[in-house]
Amino acid sequence: MPFITFIRWQDVVDILLNSYILFRLYVLFRGTYVFRVLTGIAFLWIFQRISAYFGLILTSWVMQGITAVLALIIIIVFRNEIRSVLQAKNLKAILWGFPQQGGPTTIQLIVDSVKTLSKRHIGALIVLPAKENLDDVLQGGIPLKGLISKEMITSIFWSDNPVHDGAVIIEGDRISKVGVILPLSYKSDLPSRYGTRHRAALGLAETTDALVVVVSEETGKVVVAKNSNIINIHGSASLTKILKEHMGLHEIESDHQQKEKFKMGIAALISFFFITGMWLSFSKGLDTLITLEVPVEYTNRSPGFEIVDASVNTVRLHLAGSGALIKSIQPEQVQVKLDLGHAVIGRNIFSVTQDNISLPPGIFLRKVVPSVVEVTLDETIKKEIPVQVDWVGELPENLILSEIKIDPEKVEVIGGKRILQKLSTIYTEKVHLDNLKEGTGTIFANLALTPASLNIAPGSKDRAKIAYVIKSRVQ
Amino acid sequence: MRLKTIIIIVLLCSNLFITQFLFAQNTLHSESKTVPKKLTLDRAVMCEDIKDFAPLNPAVVFSIKIGKVCCFNSFDPVPEKTFIYHKWFHKDDLSTTKRLTLQPPRWTTYSTIQLRETDKGPWRVEISDQKGNLLYILRFSITD
Repeated sequence: MPFITFIRWQDVVDILLNSYILFRLYVLFRGTYVFRVLTGIAFLWIFQRISAYFGLILTSWVMQGITAVLALIIIIVFRNEIRSVLQAKNLKAILWGFPQQGGPTTIQLIVDSVKTLSKRHIGALIVLPAKENLDDVLQGGIPLKGLISKEMITSIFWSDNPVHDGAVIIEGDRISKVGVILPLSYKSDLPSRYGTRHRAALGLAETTDALVVVVSEETGKVVVAKNSNIINIHGSASLTKILKEHMGLHEIESDHQQKEKFKMGIAALISFFFITGMWLSFSKGLDTLITLEVPVEYTNRSPGFEIVDASVNTVRLHLAGSGALIKSIQPEQVQVKLDLGHAVIGRNIFSVTQDNISLPPGIFLRKVVPSVVEVTLDETIKKEIPVQVDWVGELPENLILSEIKIDPEKVEVIGGKRILQKLSTIYTEKVHLDNLKEGTGTIFANLALTPASLNIAPGSKDRAKIAYVIKSRVQ
Repeated sequence: MRLKTIIIIVLLCSNLFITQFLFAQNTLHSESKTVPKKLTLDRAVMCEDIKDFAPLNPAVVFSIKIGKVCCFNSFDPVPEKTFIYHKWFHKDDLSTTKRLTLQPPRWTTYSTIQLRETDKGPWRVEISDQKGNLLYILRFSITD
């Protein structure tokens, strides 16, 4: 049978769902130690499956043990890392979002700092050199070579800071100098609202290819000076754009995004193939056969009918499926039901087919033995039948059980017409003579209904009271 | 001589009268007796043996050790020569049927079976007339 016919829609959903879960785990944990250990576990698992396939019992067993222990260790050792990944993100980010790699970029830090300075009306001059060397045009300055941070930039331009009037030079991700004096512009047509900072920024921009960001102390407005131009900045986005253009990050970023998309695509594909492999391993890799003895359940029997005979009470089902699924079968998951809705009094023959059998997902029926079940139905009637005690055991040799009186003498029994027509006596359960003494006495015994399909009619007693007389034997 | 003749005649007449009377009585009586009498089972018991035409140790449970068991019946009256059947059932399976003859006016009779190890369990004997009408059922058990 072609393999594709075995795949159900549940299997497709199963694979896709788990592939996505694996892909999301990669997205959320990539770059962390957890991810590396998870990758290690995945390789161990693959190794274990290969070992099992080739019959390397000990290796397979050891790999299985290590995998299980590692899975436990990962939760204990990396609990903080896992918690930080899961807690820091909202549900949407966990299920759908793509977190940015690494911390905030230099541009992001500069933009955030400028935004803060602008809001607080702290004057600032930030120089971002391009290709030209600025040493010839800059004066003074104190080397710093500190990593950029928002707090650092804000504190440099704080009014009480001795270097707050000068400019800062940013090279790469570091502030290389602070308190630098820039050359002033000699332009005479500068608007009157621009002060010395703006003139200094323009002065540097005119003579070099550097970009200078200016924050006005008076108005808090932000401008960028580049190539003899002063550009008003409205919002963080436009500043970010200009800074990126200046640093030539647009192309780099585009490349980076392409690479990122490619990585994600590869990760998604690997997730899909890995889960498909796992699914095949679990579901199809080991095609196991099992034979189950399952009781036949008769449904939709007419209330006036009684099952008096059935050729079998159980059928043997030959089932196939993966070892894991076969092992996990619960008895209540496998049912054989025969519909007696159209059955008639007398012999009925039913074929046991796939339609009569319910199986758990992933388990397939190969054969039913026997495939035909014969059921004999009878009409249900009531009949009054005498009761007789079924004595067992032995009295002492000198005694005889001379007389008994049984109550009730007769009981009304409900059952199949054919059975009841043949039945002339209802016996009690075995009553032992051994404990009975000479004289009179009374004992009780339950009625034994055979076959089990018989029932005592409502109103009739299902227990007999036996009054007896035991006398001495006449020799 | 004449007196003797008269006496003889009187005696003959009286004899005839008495005879006639008695005959009439007998006829009446026999007419009342001619109403068909029904065969009546007077007594039916299971017993270990029969002794002096009477059941010995009637009981409802018999040990297999005694080797046999009897079904004793007493019929009174028996209107005419007839016969009855004893059908012995072990559980619900017919084990044997015995045909027993009855003679009027009354009759006692019995049937017996020999016991084997496999005969343990509940038994019944159905007593029926020659037409198969069930007269009585005796129930008993064979035990250890």
